[in-house]
Amino acid sequence: MAKPPVRKPKKKQNPLKAAGVERVDYKDVSVLRKFISDRGKIRARRVTGVSVQQQREIAKAVKNAREMALLPYSSSAR
Amino acid sequence: MRHYELMVILDPDLEERTVAPSLEKFLNVVRKGGGSVEKVDIWGRRKLAYEIKKKTEGIYAVVDLSTEPDVAKELDRQLNLNESVLRTKMIRPDAR
Repeated sequence: MAKPPVRKPKKKQNPLKAAGVERVDYKDVSVLRKFISDRGKIRARRVTGVSVQQQREIAKAVKNAREMALLPYSSSAR
Repeated sequence: MRHYELMVILDPDLEERTVAPSLEKFLNVVRKGGGSVEKVDIWGRRKLAYEIKKKTEGIYAVVDLSTEPDVAKELDRQLNLNESVLRTKMIRPDAR
């Protein structure tokens, strides 16, 4: 029996944070925009490739930004 | 004393030049309470991501201040009572 080939998922290069800002701020809309989809949803960690802690910070910041109408809760694109 | 960061969205029907004085009036509570206002940054008119009170725009302002928790609470309460304030957010940047 041939074993199915083990797939090694490509490790994400750098979490984008390393080349950017430390400490995510909800006022920094241009940074947060990179972590939401075009429908306004928060991108999953496997997509963004950031650490657990950073993802949590990002999620919190996005939610704060939504409360202040800086980011949409949902955008009806499509 | 704690450091706070306050963001306010004001009614876009307000005159741009009356924004700073009316903000000052609110912030007087902080000064009277023994706190200090470190920075007032008025972003100006900005499109809202969604409508608030049927408004599509808002005047954004960010204030850095340090004060006692009770005073901060009182400031937030007074802001929310005012009709021309669409939304507020008080955050402690160093508490995380």
